[in-house]
Amino acid sequence: MKKNALDFKEGMPVSAMSITDMSKNKTGSWRYMRPYYQNKTAPCIKGCPTGEKIPDYFDKVKAGKFEEAWHIILEDNPLPGVCGRVCYHPCEGACNRKDLDSPIAINNMERFVADQNMANGYPKHFHVEKTEMKIAIIGSGPAGLSAAYQLARKGHAVTIYESLAQPGGMLQMGIPKYRLPREVLKKEIKDIQTLGVKIKTKCTVGKDISWQNLQMSYDAVLIATGAIKSRPLNIPGEEKKGIAPGLQFLREFNLDDKKEIKRKVVVVGGGNTAIDCARSAVRLGADVTIVYRRSHKEMPAVPEEIEEAEAEGVKINYLTNPVEFIGDSRVRKIRLIRMELGEPDDDGRRRSVEVQGSEFEIEADQVMLAIGEIPALDFLPDSINAQWGRVDVDSFQMTNNRGVFACGDSANGPIGTVVDAIATGKNSAFTIDAFLNDKSYHFINNNNVVGFDKINLDYFHKEERPAEARSDQTKLTNNFSEVNLGLDKDQAKNEAERCFSCGYCTTCDTCLVFCPDVAITHSDNGAPYTINYDYCKGCGICVYECPRDAMAFEEEIKWKTE
Amino acid sequence: MSQMKFEIPKIELMKSGHVACPGCGASMAMRYALKALGQNTMIVIPACCWAIIDGPSPCSVNGVPVFHTAFETAAITATGIKAGLSRQGDNDTTVMAWAGDGGTFDIGLQALSGAAERNEDIIYVCYDNEAYMNTGIQRSSATPWGAWTTTTPTKTPKSRPKKNIIDILLAHHIPYVATASVAYPDDFIRKMKKAKSIRGMKFIQILSPCPPGWKSAPEQSVHISRLAVNSKVFPLYEVEDGYRYKISLNHKNIPVEEYLKHQGRFKHLSKEQIKQIQVDTDTKWEVLMKKVEMGELFSEN
Repeated sequence: MKKNALDFKEGMPVSAMSITDMSKNKTGSWRYMRPYYQNKTAPCIKGCPTGEKIPDYFDKVKAGKFEEAWHIILEDNPLPGVCGRVCYHPCEGACNRKDLDSPIAINNMERFVADQNMANGYPKHFHVEKTEMKIAIIGSGPAGLSAAYQLARKGHAVTIYESLAQPGGMLQMGIPKYRLPREVLKKEIKDIQTLGVKIKTKCTVGKDISWQNLQMSYDAVLIATGAIKSRPLNIPGEEKKGIAPGLQFLREFNLDDKKEIKRKVVVVGGGNTAIDCARSAVRLGADVTIVYRRSHKEMPAVPEEIEEAEAEGVKINYLTNPVEFIGDSRVRKIRLIRMELGEPDDDGRRRSVEVQGSEFEIEADQVMLAIGEIPALDFLPDSINAQWGRVDVDSFQMTNNRGVFACGDSANGPIGTVVDAIATGKNSAFTIDAFLNDKSYHFINNNNVVGFDKINLDYFHKEERPAEARSDQTKLTNNFSEVNLGLDKDQAKNEAERCFSCGYCTTCDTCLVFCPDVAITHSDNGAPYTINYDYCKGCGICVYECPRDAMAFEEEIKWKTE
Repeated sequence: MSQMKFEIPKIELMKSGHVACPGCGASMAMRYALKALGQNTMIVIPACCWAIIDGPSPCSVNGVPVFHTAFETAAITATGIKAGLSRQGDNDTTVMAWAGDGGTFDIGLQALSGAAERNEDIIYVCYDNEAYMNTGIQRSSATPWGAWTTTTPTKTPKSRPKKNIIDILLAHHIPYVATASVAYPDDFIRKMKKAKSIRGMKFIQILSPCPPGWKSAPEQSVHISRLAVNSKVFPLYEVEDGYRYKISLNHKNIPVEEYLKHQGRFKHLSKEQIKQIQVDTDTKWEVLMKKVEMGELFSEN
């Protein structure tokens, strides 16, 4: 018989040969540093006032699951179609990708997801069992809508009181249609109403319903009336005909379709309202000049908007300020003075200082004042404290009156933008819910933010940011069709791929591929990977190589003591 | 698509429990090699780190037959095994000699040269960690100029350049010679698969980072390998039939200092010495480029 190496003699092979593997050798005992998976906060999430889970929904976009992506955004923001168009996107300013090539087009991605879901309604699990609690919200702007939505998702009965004929607040009356088509707004408000939110339009608190009545009939009241009163300039001649708040022009135009415009229009101010006035007036055939007292750099309007306005023929006079309006009963001319920039003031922008003797005049048939808006709080009782013209609230959005809350531009705190209003609306909904249920509430603090230095650039190369499509704007007059058309499916998917996905595992397999000890495997319990600590020697290659800092490395002793 | 996606066979023949140091490049290399070659493979390992890493008798971490042999005999043992298999009518099993730089550049060179000259149908892989690491970091002829080892201390670091093993093998006119790096597993696996598909002698040199021997951080092994490639200290290329050169990827232009600074074995080098290494590296790269051009010239005819 042929001798075979596999013939054992007294339990042992006939020659020195392997009969087993090394699985008994638990090399995990060598380890003094432990790698583990840890999702961290992407800077965009931190940058977004409502804290949208951006890398999370990008992951769904990559997989073509647009409806699931929409659901993720909806957790934090019920108005993605609106925000995806009008938000000043601080997320993009925070994006780590800006240090490699250019930030991810997050704003357009949000819009893309919303646009893909124009025909879809909320999923079943958004509709929860109703509670006994009733909440009144004054104002149906972004703050009020956001709060109503979050409260309704907790099962509370919400009624919104809106003084105008249509809900939406500044989104409805302020923002021009070429930036925000009204069907988008309508759809998202309708979605919120499917949760049982009632909106009473043409119902002014203090006129159609008294404040006392409101406070008595509801378990909590939320003030979300926004800032709708234009600030005056307080200079001679301001009472002349032809001079009016820019917001009034926008409201009359957007709500009542009033199209009266003079030939030479001057807009005073540098914020988004000023730009909206200017671009709307250009579309009505006027010759428009913006007068702004600081320089381009300090202008608070969204930079893209300024660029687009200039491209459409709006002239911008930087470093000038009106000192007097001239004319008989109607305004004919504006006397302007040149300004220069001095020391930075409290909010960090450089103060503008008049240059003595530099006055000059320009012609004007119509003047729109857009130097800022303040809340109109006359309907409130004196017992509710206000500060600097805004309702004074604590960090839980509650006023000094128990059960009365305020958010958005009508309250102190972050002000002036749609997304800030949505964020404070969301926060006040959560604190109202906690208040009604007599629970404590802690805001989620998005710490542990991934910095650019934590991104492993060996895995990324430079790529262009997609250019969004634009509608034909060669004929501007009476053209209120939407200017920006967003991204298409391929662009959106590519953009989701371009995202670093900072601190958020994308199952790219880098850790698994480079593990010298074959200790990382695909997981079957929902987490992307499992580390076999029986064999992991703690070399740390997985943590060091992770392209996006979705792992952490800690001394083993800390794990042992805990 | 921004991030490269790995396309790597899922099969894991090399298992956990091996006794390589944390962050060992050689263990990564074996993992990729077996992923590429598959189950029908036999490995010959002479005295080297891997003789230990594989585990003490009767254990083996590799899910394929491993033959441990004497230091100088990797190539000839592989030749013998291949001949034996062939005699039994098995021409499919891949036989791979897996040796360190000591067993390849120095003591095993005569057997390697013999096997290459006879064009034996084996794959010879040298995982090159640039010194006798297993016995305590003594210099080998693969140790680069200026590097510290226990036998070339910092006062008198290595004064001779690294032996060019690729050129030695090319002088034997064998079908396939390539360099590979653990930082580029896709490229690594492609080359191993290509080697498997070619009849005759194949030689692959892998730069294998050694955290204890290079005095580098274990977590940086892949990073250092990548820097070695992109600083052109260890360019990735393959040569078919002895003259057709092909550069494997776009090498970035990274100064050698970037590569050297992560390793304690180069810490003593002065600015001038680093400059010298840069000049040498650039020259070798230029020469390689010329060889690529000449190869193209011959290919056209």
